[in-house]
Amino acid sequence: MPFDATLSTEGQVATITLTGELDAAAAPAFRARIEEAAGASPERLVLMAERLSYMSSAGLRSLVFAKQKMGQAVDIYIVAAQDPVIETIRLTGFDHSVIMQEAYVG
Amino acid sequence: MDVLEVPGVLESLQPIADFVKEASAEAGLERREAYRLRLAVDEIATNVVLYGYERSGQTGLLRIAKNLDSERLTLCLEDTSPPYDPTAQAPPSDLSESLESRPIGGLGVFLTIQGVDDFRYEYVEGHNRNYFTVRRPAAV
Repeated sequence: MPFDATLSTEGQVATITLTGELDAAAAPAFRARIEEAAGASPERLVLMAERLSYMSSAGLRSLVFAKQKMGQAVDIYIVAAQDPVIETIRLTGFDHSVIMQEAYVG
Repeated sequence: MDVLEVPGVLESLQPIADFVKEASAEAGLERREAYRLRLAVDEIATNVVLYGYERSGQTGLLRIAKNLDSERLTLCLEDTSPPYDPTAQAPPSDLSESLESRPIGGLGVFLTIQGVDDFRYEYVEGHNRNYFTVRRPAAV
């Protein structure tokens, strides 16, 4: 399934909804949404990942990019991720740096 | 299809993924194993495109071939970019460190090695060859 990332911003919360497969070819589209979100100086970045069916390390690098663009104080939430995506995040220790939730609790 | 040859560019990651998915289905891999194999191949193919071909200013092909026997599925990913042995790369630094404070390199190769039962590299006559092997589920 082709990758898609859509951004919505409400107050201090930027939400990006991810769909499809996030590989290195798709990562620039994700990073473009992150940059767009950073423009609103949010305090929190929420990634809705329920329909994200695949994520390579290019996706993980995009999370680092988000911290760089938005500042280290911004909390990154990953919500409703599928099991294999969760496994990749845990295996690489990124679960220590993001907040994983089954459903978004602000 | 036993062999796929595509240009060594990021747009080729999708057809390579489709090839891997098809081979995994034929081998009867479970969903989790199939996902991990696709991730392993994707990470190495990405490295070949970004660091093998693009960084060296070369163009070339990515060739993936499958070999299926009763016990194992082996995929071989081949390219003609400068020699690069992923297995010689240092593992990523402390994985429990925060996003902000650790270097990001090496994650792709780490995921590759974690994702398959055996990963092997060789350089033969101008070709990098990366072999990914997974055991097939035991016949019922």
